Amino acid sequence: MNRRRKKNLNAINVPSLARWIVITAFLGATGLSYVYLTLQLHDLGDRRKALENELKSLRTQNEVARVQVAALTSRSALQRRVKEGYIKMIPISEQNIVRLSIPARSADENDIQPVVNRKGRR
Amino acid sequence: MRWNGRTRCALVCVGFITLYSLFSFRLVYLQMVKHDEFAGLAAEKHVHKQVIYAERGAIFDANDEVLAHNIPVETVVGDATHVNDLPALGALLSSALKISQSEIAEKLGGDRRYVVLKRELSETAAGALREKLRAQNLRGVYFERDSSRVYPNGPMLCHVVGFTDFNHRGIQGVECSMEDYLHGQDGYRYIEHDRAGQEIVLYRGQERAPHNGYQIHLTIDLNLQNIVENELDSVMSEFSPKKAIVILMRPKTGEILAMANRPNFDLNLRAEAKPEEMKNRAIIDMMEPGSTFKIVVAAAALNERKVRPDTPIFCENGRWSFGGRLLHDHKAYADLSVQDVLVKSSNIGAAKLALLLGDEKFYEYIRSFGFGDRSGIELPGEIGGMVHPPQAWSKISITRIPMGHEVAVTPLQMIMAMATIANGGILVAPRIIKSVATEDGESISRFAPVVVRRVISPQTATQLGLALRGVASDRGTAAAAAVPGFIISGKTGTAQKVDSKGGYEQGKYIVSFTGYLPAEHPEFVGLVVLDDAHTDKPELNYGGLVAGPIFSRIAEKAARYLDLEPHEEIDKPVTAGRVALTNAAHR
Repeated sequence: MNRRRKKNLNAINVPSLARWIVITAFLGATGLSYVYLTLQLHDLGDRRKALENELKSLRTQNEVARVQVAALTSRSALQRRVKEGYIKMIPISEQNIVRLSIPARSADENDIQPVVNRKGRR
Repeated sequence: MRWNGRTRCALVCVGFITLYSLFSFRLVYLQMVKHDEFAGLAAEKHVHKQVIYAERGAIFDANDEVLAHNIPVETVVGDATHVNDLPALGALLSSALKISQSEIAEKLGGDRRYVVLKRELSETAAGALREKLRAQNLRGVYFERDSSRVYPNGPMLCHVVGFTDFNHRGIQGVECSMEDYLHGQDGYRYIEHDRAGQEIVLYRGQERAPHNGYQIHLTIDLNLQNIVENELDSVMSEFSPKKAIVILMRPKTGEILAMANRPNFDLNLRAEAKPEEMKNRAIIDMMEPGSTFKIVVAAAALNERKVRPDTPIFCENGRWSFGGRLLHDHKAYADLSVQDVLVKSSNIGAAKLALLLGDEKFYEYIRSFGFGDRSGIELPGEIGGMVHPPQAWSKISITRIPMGHEVAVTPLQMIMAMATIANGGILVAPRIIKSVATEDGESISRFAPVVVRRVISPQTATQLGLALRGVASDRGTAAAAAVPGFIISGKTGTAQKVDSKGGYEQGKYIVSFTGYLPAEHPEFVGLVVLDDAHTDKPELNYGGLVAGPIFSRIAEKAARYLDLEPHEEIDKPVTAGRVALTNAAHR
């Protein structure tokens, strides 16, 4: 009698309990994973944003540098530097130019010869 | 009913089921029935469309020298709903952006969610302001990436390159005509902000990358442009003309190598420029061309075989009455060959050539040379000039048009006519765009030369070219236009300025010279036009005396730069009195 009562009152359905424990653990783990992964996504998003900003900043610096290079090497800037005496330019005289081919002269070129107006030139 | 345990349990269950069913129905109602409404409200609150601006394409010359490009700047914008400390923010922004505190308070005091506080703030200044905002934990101010157009060469080539408005839309020059290529297409991104206004990258929505504008490569060679600009600066200080125009063009391809006007302006200081300084007079100014137009009548008469180059034309000893009006030459000539009519620039000779042709034929050739039509160059605002049909001519028009009166042409049309002769009689459309390329430099479109029509035969062009060689000789009207080492062909022009009240202005002239070299195989054609040049003596204000030497100096430097082989060393002493006169004019 006592043995039967004990059996009826304290019986634990181990498989069922195990099943619920597994389900609960699974749900808990899933929830935690979800939270972890969401945080990871946020973190990755922040890192992505930081990298994008860094890339943008580098591009900007590059562009600013390119603009500065263009401004410093522009014709106007170089001319200004020539005027200021930072750069000296000497024109190459005709006798210092070696030409590989002598142009052929046509017969009618002697008809009219242009004149030189050196006094009128700067 | 018996309230035993089972019944009570059932009641509790029913209660829970009812409660949860109500919740479920409410959830279904909110999530499905009212989904769009609430999603819209949420989006309105947190999501906004961030525009990702496309970069405007750069403009380069023929040698890839930068003419126009962009510098990164930032636009400072405010969201009044995010502002947490308006007085502190006002004080900070006021000093950083140079805006009054009252203006900031007005802009950020309400509930406007997007208000522009400052445009074109440099990257450095924006970075410093961002740091200060972060340090003081101030919210409600954001930075948008933008760019500002920069022209490294300032005033050089200003009329050709043009400029943009503050919305980055081209409103003049190539910036305007090539707007569709240069502008690109802006991208966008839907983003969500957190309470602090920071983007939540996780919830980044739909996105479209921007498509940057194409690069434009011009036919202009900045080295030649520089030669022309320097010469024009000298001309302005020497002759103080009201306007001055110089164009260099490659006749075979129609490529414009240089184009400069005075007055001009600095592209980087365009807000300070006056409207008069912004006009590209090479394409939008009409002028009576004067004697340079004689090439048209001579070409027509030779091409129609009405005359030969050596056919004598009686020039009436300098005075000829036609239609009851006298026509003068600047010197008394008896018989001149057709060639010499050009060399000596005889008005009477040119008029007689036109009479040989007749109204209709002459008009046909004028139009055939391109006068009266827009050339179609890729620049905005070009005009077609003014050429009246023969039905509208007076009795004396046939004698006045050959010497460049009663017609109005643009400088570009004039150089095109000379290029036609240099080009063996073929009219080639002028062009200023060489190619269009992607931002990586990959060419997507190349602009090929466009042959418009054959105007005169190659023989006629050769005959005319030979005749025009004499203009820059000691026998011609522009001995000072000669270029050492080269034989050039050219024509002078001196036209009285048309008075807006009718008739002509006394003592005011438009002087010009157009020519090409080397005469035997032309590499470039040049045109110099000066409006109302101030010479020491009014009688020295002639095309050959004022514009001719300018052409000579430009052509000599251009030939050296283009490495044209000199024909020979020509160093003869100058004996012609006319050249001595030129020297006096150019002290």
